[in-house]
Amino acid sequence: MNMIVCVKQVPDPEAPPASFQVDAASGRMVIAPSVNPVISPFDEQAVEAALRLKDAHGGKITVLSLGKDAVPHVIKKPLAMGADELILLQDDALEGGDSWSTAFALAHAIKKIGQYDLIFCGRQAADWDAGQVGSGIAELLGVPSVTLARKVEVSDGKAVVERVVPDGYEVVEVSLPALITVSNELGEPRYPTLRGIMATKKIEPIVWTAADLGVEASQCGVAGRRTRLLKLFKPVKEGRCQLIQADSPAEAGEKLALKLREAKLL
Amino acid sequence: MNFELGEEHIALRRLVRDFAEKEVAPIAAEVDASGQFPEGVVTKLGELGLLGLPFPEEYGGGGADELSYAILLEELARVDCGLGLSVEAHISLGGSPLNRWGTPEQKRRWLIPLAQGRMMGSIGLTEPEAGSDLGGISTTAALDGDEWVINGNKCFITNAGAGSHGLVNVLTVTGQREDGRKEYSIIIVPRGTPGYEVSEPRQKLGLHSSDTRDLSFTDCRVPRENLLGERGAGYRQALAVLDEGRFGIAALGVGLSQACLELSLQYARERKQFGKPLFDFQVIQFKLADIAINVELARLITYKAAVLCQEGKPYTKEAAMAKVFASEVAVRAAEEGVQIHGGYGYMSECPLSRFYRDAKLLTIGEGTSEVQRMVIARHLP
Repeated sequence: MNMIVCVKQVPDPEAPPASFQVDAASGRMVIAPSVNPVISPFDEQAVEAALRLKDAHGGKITVLSLGKDAVPHVIKKPLAMGADELILLQDDALEGGDSWSTAFALAHAIKKIGQYDLIFCGRQAADWDAGQVGSGIAELLGVPSVTLARKVEVSDGKAVVERVVPDGYEVVEVSLPALITVSNELGEPRYPTLRGIMATKKIEPIVWTAADLGVEASQCGVAGRRTRLLKLFKPVKEGRCQLIQADSPAEAGEKLALKLREAKLL
Repeated sequence: MNFELGEEHIALRRLVRDFAEKEVAPIAAEVDASGQFPEGVVTKLGELGLLGLPFPEEYGGGGADELSYAILLEELARVDCGLGLSVEAHISLGGSPLNRWGTPEQKRRWLIPLAQGRMMGSIGLTEPEAGSDLGGISTTAALDGDEWVINGNKCFITNAGAGSHGLVNVLTVTGQREDGRKEYSIIIVPRGTPGYEVSEPRQKLGLHSSDTRDLSFTDCRVPRENLLGERGAGYRQALAVLDEGRFGIAALGVGLSQACLELSLQYARERKQFGKPLFDFQVIQFKLADIAINVELARLITYKAAVLCQEGKPYTKEAAMAKVFASEVAVRAAEEGVQIHGGYGYMSECPLSRFYRDAKLLTIGEGTSEVQRMVIARHLP
């Protein structure tokens, strides 16, 4: 079975909030140099989903990532976890895209890879949280997509996916090839192993440019954007504390519950 | 000169830091209080291939270099120095002698399970009457037919009872040389061998999660082929093992000091007295700057010793310098860290109080600061 996992390098979302500032004038994020780059956590779960299928059925996992600022020890982590091949899309023409132009470039790269049974993406990237690229790729490739997977099983040319919904999950069957976006309910991704890290050192990523993908510069990156960011700002949050007075813990609990219901939080 | 770490070193640091923060940090206070060896965590380290890190792949190891080893220990000690010490003793004292002097058969039999973490390794050097003066040991091993018969006592042995299975490399006196001096040899003794008893865990000032016991050998018989390397090479082997162990202990000191720096810095920024954060007081800034200077220097000499070792160059002096400096830095960093934390730092729930207790062993184990200075002086040009 051939699997492709799309991953994105993002600033560590676990870094302290003060490390992320907004430059309102340019509409850009200013990120403190102390923030380490990481693979977007949902994307690591997408890698884990593919690895579980590889453990069960064998196969090949190709990791695909767009971005010329990829740091070797970060972007190679999926290889150290057990993926087989890494393809990087690196070209000035591919930078600065929106969900559309990113999906466009990734879809062309996937066409160039050719053989695939399953494509995995994280449910959304931990930097902009748009959650559009996965479905966009499926649309451009004309393959079915199932979003928010918490479990994926494959048999007889079909995938059975448990898909997270607000009050539980639904089970969806989909024919292959298909694209699946993975949610955090899948569970913790595995650690890389030492052996994986040592082997990965010797693996050189395959690098493709826009020309390799056969796309025009006007179709991708900044030029290919179909959306425009109008305003970027940090919402102001006000915290107010209200103390519940009561004679006993039981009474305090009851009063608290009533307050929460009043505020429509329960 | 190049101070850049390799891609694999950075990836390894990320892995171990991630692992230590997710798997070790949540239980560090608990195992410190209970003195329980964290077998579950050690098993997971084995599954990730970290317990065989420097050993060849054909014997279940990771084939990584000494700098990677220093990084592994540094990152473990940053969260739990007791676990760091267990891993250091397991690799430097348990597995490494087998890797260096073991026969292919000995390596297949023991190095593979050690590298995979299915067995814990240790070394038996110290005796009640012989510590820094290693030549003064009195445990004997006599050949009787095809078996060594071992008699004597060892004390303060790290990992002696850790995990379900283990072995100890025991330094013994196996006779007298032609010049009348003692002949020393190292013999491998698996745990469970009749005549080999381990005591209950010793109660210690710190490093409670590491397993420390006394050993007694009473007509303990092991096959002749359990001799490690050549007969009569034991003393030289023991010194070589301690050389390598030195930058391991240094790396633990670096990690522990780094933790003290990070925690103290965070506390100094959050804690307010007299209307401003502690960090705004120059006296606190100076303390933090001093810890930071010392951590950086300790790390540099530790990495230098590791790189010299992996390049096959002489490193005894640098390893001794790293060991004495990093361990003394750790003691000071922990003390100042507690001081910055004030009353909170003295409470058991504050990790600084644990680091303060843990740090002291680093100036003692595997060669005291005094012995290190003797070694350094001997190597001065």
